[in-house]
Amino acid sequence: MSLKDIIAPFSVWKRALEKPYTNRKPIETRPGADRYRGFHQNAIDQCIGCGTCEEICQNNAIDLVPLEGKTSSHGDSGLRPKIDYGRCCWCALCVDICPTGSLGMSNEYIWITTDPEDFRFIPGGETKPWDDRAEGYRRAEGYDLLEAERVEMPMLSFEESQKSFIEMVQGYSKEQAMEEADRCVACGICIATCPAHMDVPAYIEAIRNDDMGEGLKIVYNANPLPASCGRVCSHACEYVCAMKHKGEAISIRWLKRYIIDQIYLGDYKEILKSADESNGKKIAVIGSGPGGLSAAYYLRLLGYEITVFDANEKAGGMLRYGIPEYRLPYEQVEKDVEYIRQLGVTINQDLKIGVDRDFKTLYDEYDAIFFSTGLKDPYGLEIAGEDLPGVQSGLDILDEVTKGKTPDIGKSVVVVGGGNVAMDAARTSRRYGAEVTILYRRREVDMPADEEEIHESQGEGCKLVTQAIPLRVEKGDSTRLKLFFGMAEMVDQGEGQRPKPVLIEGSEEVIECDTVITAIGQEADYSFIPEEIGKNLVFNRGMVQINEFRQTGDSKIFAGGDIANRKRDAISAIADGHSAAKGIDIYLTNFKDK
Amino acid sequence: MTEFNELSRQFQVSDLVEQRADLHFITASKEHAVAVVSALKERYGYTHLVFFTVVDHLEKNEFHLTYMLHNYEKHHDMGVVVKIARENVQMESIHHLWPAAATYQQEMREMYGVEFPGSPGLYENFALEGWEDIPPMRRDFDTKEYSDKTYYPRPGRESHDPREYMKENLYPSEAETW
Ligand code: SF4
Ligand code: SF4
Repeated sequence: MSLKDIIAPFSVWKRALEKPYTNRKPIETRPGADRYRGFHQNAIDQCIGCGTCEEICQNNAIDLVPLEGKTSSHGDSGLRPKIDYGRCCWCALCVDICPTGSLGMSNEYIWITTDPEDFRFIPGGETKPWDDRAEGYRRAEGYDLLEAERVEMPMLSFEESQKSFIEMVQGYSKEQAMEEADRCVACGICIATCPAHMDVPAYIEAIRNDDMGEGLKIVYNANPLPASCGRVCSHACEYVCAMKHKGEAISIRWLKRYIIDQIYLGDYKEILKSADESNGKKIAVIGSGPGGLSAAYYLRLLGYEITVFDANEKAGGMLRYGIPEYRLPYEQVEKDVEYIRQLGVTINQDLKIGVDRDFKTLYDEYDAIFFSTGLKDPYGLEIAGEDLPGVQSGLDILDEVTKGKTPDIGKSVVVVGGGNVAMDAARTSRRYGAEVTILYRRREVDMPADEEEIHESQGEGCKLVTQAIPLRVEKGDSTRLKLFFGMAEMVDQGEGQRPKPVLIEGSEEVIECDTVITAIGQEADYSFIPEEIGKNLVFNRGMVQINEFRQTGDSKIFAGGDIANRKRDAISAIADGHSAAKGIDIYLTNFKDK
Repeated sequence: MTEFNELSRQFQVSDLVEQRADLHFITASKEHAVAVVSALKERYGYTHLVFFTVVDHLEKNEFHLTYMLHNYEKHHDMGVVVKIARENVQMESIHHLWPAAATYQQEMREMYGVEFPGSPGLYENFALEGWEDIPPMRRDFDTKEYSDKTYYPRPGRESHDPREYMKENLYPSEAETW
């Protein structure tokens, strides 16, 4: 032992009367700096459970777990992030990437507990003392891991577009598509909302990998009409896209279109599944719209022999006859149809069931029937003067144009309605040089047409008058017709009900025009179904009742599309066709062979 | 810039970039970089080594080393960038110009695997002890894979995929037919 060791304790004594350097007890807690990365906070109602935080965490510190009181709904998985502080390194990448901005960090950094399990918790889901702290780490202004704005789509200008039927949306280049695909966080929340449940993140990934063949396969798994859908799908997926919380949704529809546009029809065969050997069973499909074609495609893949019957000259149903070429060029519909035909599906055109061929004959000759005949009969306005020459339905005009005829609309047109058919009829009329006014009973926000259609119709010079109710049509003096209409006020109908337009007395106005186009909806025509079969089917407010396999009251008959589905868009019809194909397969293999 | 013009007469330097009035960057070849840095120190008054660092440009298969120098008289910063291939990366040491550079070089070797033969203490641990994987700051180091391999998950942890979870909850019967 050295001398120093013996003396050392005494040297401490010389400081005994000095003021100590240490703080007095109790030690005051010092708050973290304003932007300190302390424990996580999550605004639980704002979070949509997309799991992007889990995906980015390099330490696997985050799990997505169900939280009591949260259920899955469209646009919200119902899951919430749970953090394991045994792994977190407080890098805050999760905060930086969260597309909804719900995730943050408090500046609290002191936490004492004896139970290690406490250090695993759902921020915002389990109450913590720092939940309401305003200080702490948030994503810095101007610093972003995700691109909020979509890559702009090259489009014809409105001056150009209204001159012709050339397709307005021009499609992405490879660079643009890859850049747009790069914005996707691949959460998959959109899959539930897509009526056909397409695996959107997977085909977007195929674009990122520049593997179009893979993309085509994924798309065809759930949708055999993608060239059309990539153009006119109502894109329910985009409304729930996680990125929409941050800025603009991924342009999912156009990315799908990009894949299809890269591959020639002739190359499809090498990429896609081929049909199974024929199993000898025959299915009749009535209607060659999206529902019928989709059922035909999936049934054919399973080995069934398919005959499609269609009353029109060409296949495609409403895709061809209800949507103008500037939105969906006919050759794109043809591309979709042609591939289905190449698989060996027979499509009989110009053949009307109930007129040229009996429904009963089909019923006896085929093993099952799928019908998806759509809504063809336009509703009338139910006002005086409706039968005057010059009053026409929107569908008729679109149909005529598809058939190559020039519609007789004159110089001024009034379109009544607020759906896509109304917008298409209006824009088609613009292309034939007419002045166009659109009358709609409710407000612009209530219009059932797609946002872009409303925007584009106005861009092309159609005048929109909302809260206007047509009253009567009379013969005009200088023009063909005079349409009288009154203004409406929106009357609240209580919670959950949409407000009703009620005519304001004495608000009558008049427009002179050559043509009134009615486009307020249409209904189905079931007259082709004979009574003895029809009595087994159940109809509910004009729609055929079906079960989840798209089977009607008669076990041999399946139905789908607009006649059976309130969503009334192409992709829902396609989903119906797919489900019906599975349903028919189950029905024929399980119940017939035994 | 006069320094740049003079240097370029003697050495392989290029790409003069004026970031700000008081901050310029030049690019030097690997062979001439140390001579350029040394000339800037001895002849042009850039006596302070502000930092010495490296960025991994995986896409270009290159490392970019940057010497940041400061001239106290002119209050001017000069960055000298050197691009070197990513494989077996070696660079001449500058510890003879600034002894402190050895510490930067020690860290770069540990974090990025850049070798500086002759640099003092190059192989002593800087921050990582017993590290055996590829240098962790290299862009091809997979942090997530490393943490999976190294740290075991706490028992009882489970996670759900949003798409599967939503399928179960929102369209279970359709999922069956699909
Ligand atoms: S990234 Fe944000 S919105 Fe998505 S689950 Fe995590 S906290 Fe919720
Ligand atoms: S702060 Fe970093 S380590 Fe911690 S949970 Fe978030 S991403 Fe993971």
